[in-house]
Amino acid sequence: MSAATASDPRTAPPRAAGVLLGRLGAVAAIAGNTLREAIRSRLLYTLLGFGILLICAGVLLSSLSYVETDRILQDVGFGAMRLFGVAIALFVGVGLIHKEVERRTIYTILSKPLSRAEFLIGKFWGLALTVWMQLAIMALAFAVVSRASGAPLGTGHLAACLLLGVELLVVVAIATFFSAFTTPMLSALFAGGFWLVGNLTRDLREIGSGSELAAVRETTAWLYRILPDLASFNLTLEAAHGLPITAADVWLPLLYGVCYAAVVLVLAVAIFERRDFR
Amino acid sequence: MKPAEIVRVVDVVKDFRSGAGLRRKRVLHGISFGVREGEIFGFVGPNGAGKTTTLKILMGLVRPTSGRAEILGHDVGETDFRRQVGFLPEGPYFYEYLTGREILAFYARLSGVPRARRAERVEALLAQVGLEAAADARLRTYSKGMLQRIGIAQALVHDPRVVFLDEPMSGLDPVGRKEIRDLILKLRGEGKTVFMNTHILQDVELACDRVAIIARGRIVHEGPIDAFEGGGERRSDLVLGAVPAAMATALEERFAAQLRAMGDRIEVRVREKDVDAVLRQALDAGVPVVSITPHRVSLESIFLSAIEAGERAS
Repeated sequence: MSAATASDPRTAPPRAAGVLLGRLGAVAAIAGNTLREAIRSRLLYTLLGFGILLICAGVLLSSLSYVETDRILQDVGFGAMRLFGVAIALFVGVGLIHKEVERRTIYTILSKPLSRAEFLIGKFWGLALTVWMQLAIMALAFAVVSRASGAPLGTGHLAACLLLGVELLVVVAIATFFSAFTTPMLSALFAGGFWLVGNLTRDLREIGSGSELAAVRETTAWLYRILPDLASFNLTLEAAHGLPITAADVWLPLLYGVCYAAVVLVLAVAIFERRDFR
Repeated sequence: MKPAEIVRVVDVVKDFRSGAGLRRKRVLHGISFGVREGEIFGFVGPNGAGKTTTLKILMGLVRPTSGRAEILGHDVGETDFRRQVGFLPEGPYFYEYLTGREILAFYARLSGVPRARRAERVEALLAQVGLEAAADARLRTYSKGMLQRIGIAQALVHDPRVVFLDEPMSGLDPVGRKEIRDLILKLRGEGKTVFMNTHILQDVELACDRVAIIARGRIVHEGPIDAFEGGGERRSDLVLGAVPAAMATALEERFAAQLRAMGDRIEVRVREKDVDAVLRQALDAGVPVVSITPHRVSLESIFLSAIEAGERAS
């Protein structure tokens, strides 16, 4: 006789709202655990420490100049936030899945009522939260240093930080994508390469559009469509120079970044679904 | 009436790619078996036979190349039915920075245990596996036996109907093995179905209702444990004095006896039903009878002969 009965909560048909909440709860549990594991990483604190050190070093560097000291200070600060934010996303992100497979923690997790897509999305959000937390700490250091040096701070700086957060979200999605099927070393190489090329795609398109060869024009145009246009998230020049920033300058890249990250995650899930965990 | 089969594996083939992905290695050659509700099913085989791959297919960790695997009528690729399935992998590893209580709460949340019941289930499981005292210690401080117990607790935290255990007693001391075995028997008492991967035949004999033997990716034997223990043909070894050549030939031909020379004596292995006739023949011929040793066909001998047969077939 079956051990289950009609009143058994395991066999009773779950309500749609309950299922959705359960799914979100499981994704949140994976994300929370990823965040918890990431913030235990010494590498993370080392990178964060260097980031803050470089932001503070902006004071020294700006003091070497007689003109535009505020701009130099903030250029260095934004550069530090960007560089170390990306470094954290890459170095923590590339081992994201590999570690779970290598340590075999993934076996027990995927045996639970949790799809591979939910697992991957949970890992992605855990890493995104980690990177955003580090960005918030660096932004706070940036604000303190700017305020102490008498450099101006305004909504432009906030917008620049917001879009930097979106850029990091895209980098996290790319790191998650590569970590879904390859080793940490290769993931770091590929994701780092994407970030570098992603900062040059506009230039690539500009150069390509001036070519006399149609094939070159077409190829560079397609590369621009496929590769991330990370320069579109860069408002640091406008913020540091106090140049006007429109609402469209913020929400259009924001929308683009969220959509790009979503597409990359869909591809990551498609690959991850086919993977065997031997 | 036979209980329904709640785990079904039908013609499952699994190829793994190796090298640059061009070469394929077949590790499962169309295996089929079923597990009935409420039984402890032993999946037995030597290392590298395909036990863990089969279990990983059932857990959705590895996709079969062809064939079908179902649990509770659901394809193993589905997700929701796993609310009714528990799994303990071999040599389980957990997030070592979490405590025993935290890891169980984490798995309870993943398994969809409602928040209101979570703490109660965690405490109940900690008590069941005897880890209440170590509940707030980090897992990095746990011994292998304690990790095995926390592994079993996470497999049961959502009160599943079917539990899959991969080598649940490996690496445990005799006391630990007995505790885990008792726990498995208790699960059967609660009406749960247990699928156990193991190569320790003693555990199979003591706990399992039915057994499937896998060798080189093929099921070479499947049946109730009673059939292994008692249903097999019993044989006896007779040690006789010097046997004349004509009599030796007659024993081989008439009783299908296996003869082995032991110095000036001879060992004759015969079916138990033929012992009286062989003895009579020996005594009539004036051959001294030195000893008679009855043999019980053990699971081990069945296992070994099944493995040999499987190896010959492949």
